[in-house]
Amino acid sequence: MPYSELIKNFERIRDYMREFYVYGFKSRSEYTQKSARSYDDERRRIESWLGDYMHFRISSEAKNVFLSIDSRLTQHNPLYQAWKAKSFTDKDITLHFILFDILHDPKIALNIYTLIPRIDEYFERFDTPMVFDLSTIRKKLKEYTEEGIIRAEKRGKILYYRRAESTVLPSDELLDFFSETAPCGVVGSFLLDKKAPHDSLFAFKHHYITAALDSEVLAGIFDAMGEKRSIRIENHGRRGQTQTLRAVPLEVRISVRSGRQYLMAYVQEYARITSLRIDGISNVKAGEVIPDFDALRVRLRGMEAHIWGVSTRGRPGRETETISFTVCYREDEPYIPQRLAREKRIGRVDHPGPGLCCFSAEVYDPLELFPWIRTFLCRITEFRCSDPEIERRFFSDLKELCALYGVDEEAVT
Amino acid sequence: MIFSELYGVYYNTVARVLERAVQSPLKAGELRRIIYETAFAESALKIEPALKEGAWQLLSPDGSTALHYAPSMPLTTLQKRWLKSISLDPRVRLFDTSVPDFEDVEPLFRPEDVCVFDRNLDGDPFEDEGYIERFRILLRAIRAGETLRLEVRGRGDRTVTLHVLPQKLEYSEKDDKFRLICSGSAHGLVNLARIVCCAPSDREVEREDLDARAKERRRRLVLTLDDRRNALERALLHFAHFQKRAEQLNDGRCRVTIFYDADDENELVIRVLAFGPMIRVEEPEAFAGKIRDRLRRQLRLIHQRGKP
Repeated sequence: MPYSELIKNFERIRDYMREFYVYGFKSRSEYTQKSARSYDDERRRIESWLGDYMHFRISSEAKNVFLSIDSRLTQHNPLYQAWKAKSFTDKDITLHFILFDILHDPKIALNIYTLIPRIDEYFERFDTPMVFDLSTIRKKLKEYTEEGIIRAEKRGKILYYRRAESTVLPSDELLDFFSETAPCGVVGSFLLDKKAPHDSLFAFKHHYITAALDSEVLAGIFDAMGEKRSIRIENHGRRGQTQTLRAVPLEVRISVRSGRQYLMAYVQEYARITSLRIDGISNVKAGEVIPDFDALRVRLRGMEAHIWGVSTRGRPGRETETISFTVCYREDEPYIPQRLAREKRIGRVDHPGPGLCCFSAEVYDPLELFPWIRTFLCRITEFRCSDPEIERRFFSDLKELCALYGVDEEAVT
Repeated sequence: MIFSELYGVYYNTVARVLERAVQSPLKAGELRRIIYETAFAESALKIEPALKEGAWQLLSPDGSTALHYAPSMPLTTLQKRWLKSISLDPRVRLFDTSVPDFEDVEPLFRPEDVCVFDRNLDGDPFEDEGYIERFRILLRAIRAGETLRLEVRGRGDRTVTLHVLPQKLEYSEKDDKFRLICSGSAHGLVNLARIVCCAPSDREVEREDLDARAKERRRRLVLTLDDRRNALERALLHFAHFQKRAEQLNDGRCRVTIFYDADDENELVIRVLAFGPMIRVEEPEAFAGKIRDRLRRQLRLIHQRGKP
């Protein structure tokens, strides 16, 4: 197949874009699971879609390609471009514009036998006119009916087709904002493409854009969730293993601090509610309606009082652990208790004395709190966990951290 | 289905070409100009010959088209479902516009389907009528390039008056807050929730160049990452929203260079600390010094109080 800027399947480009954007340090030879030709084609495509963000670094060993995007300075998520590169046939695009020219008004309803000669008229000016057979047109109309842009109605035994009603779109500002902040925001970007080009009035801070690559997976999950169905998915683990799982999708958990999205689901193979990284999921297929869907969701809601991040299970034999730490602050540092109060999630904050704040929580996995607790280093007067191994690990990490910076490590005992 | 040619750049580009061609035949160069303005960098290599040579029989060699109407396509079910989900978001009321009520479709997702679990709990009051009114005034002023007089609640509930030229509204998903980026205030940023009143101002405020301001405040941070406990992937994803570059070192570690705004340095210090011993700051020394200082203070607390 000759090179084309457009692609038929999104999965492969999803992997490459993530590699180029998140990692960006692999050289051509390190993409061993794919062919060199495939690598060259995907790199060229991404460069064509996102040229301004593509960078190269040449070292003595290799040339690295990477995407570097400051999402605070971009108006719209550049990764959405990949969703606008689906391939099609010459007949697809030609028939599309002619069909909607004939059906330019929702009042016009035609059956397939009256459509065919009308379509043929458009090719009279060409030396070798295109020919569309009945089944091609019927297939396209069926596809468009499923997409909701054509309405089909039966009159007697014959189907009549007309375009769906037009809609006045919401303002540019609303679409500019939600296309960047709502799940499946790429759909908002598709709507913006219908509008005149304009400068967005918004900027976004702490803006993770990688989830854009998971939009189709997310939409498949939402579809199943809306209909209370199970799904069959391929789940790709960190070490490259792939597992086919049957799951009941219950909730999408989004982190605005790590850029990750998780599916909380009852996974039949594990016989429990667990979390799965959405960027590791592919090939979502809807399954049967689950009568217990609501009960499973209630069970998850009950568990959420102990979920700090996404972990839903304690160590073997221990349901949850109690973790607490106390920080000190001066009178002129009210922002410290304020910070604890706004970041506490499912925990509680007490004030055991002047200039002291104590956070505590009962959680499935106390390790999930480590990164957040470390942000208070320099103020921690007390750290406790019902699991002594967690306490030991916290202090050994602190000791290692001090050693890394050459700070008086002997004092940490 | 999200991945569909119906939403593709090629369909949108051809729609623009035909929209122009139904008015009068395209002039020489117009086709290529529209493609360059609308499509990808290499799209002209495909679209131009396909239209000119008749692979897509939509445009005659003289630049005219047999189409009678400017192309348009109704909303797909997917687009309607997404908009219906947006209409359920409380922030939608900030916008002075209506989202159509699509009775024939279900929302793509409902509020109970999604949980943002680590967002700050003191987000802006998006449903407060006064906040909504001020948000709309600010948006209008940005659009029109108008100067505003702001009454802003400062620390200790002291109110200050500012005359500013609003330029953008910045939203932080982590903070769940809007900030006004403007000319005329000391830091160029005002928290929306602190604005108690805004009205037109007759003062002249010179427009600052936001790009130049961003460049001036740009700082560089170099980190080395140790890939234990999946730290490499976690850190690269965590810092993904910055402009950055990463390179693998011979010892298996990874060096990451991040470019950040000087105003965010303290926040970045604690974000680096969060990774514990898996990340080390290499440059600049002053940044590493801030980490050392916090560690020393922590050790001092340990000395004073025994093991925390």
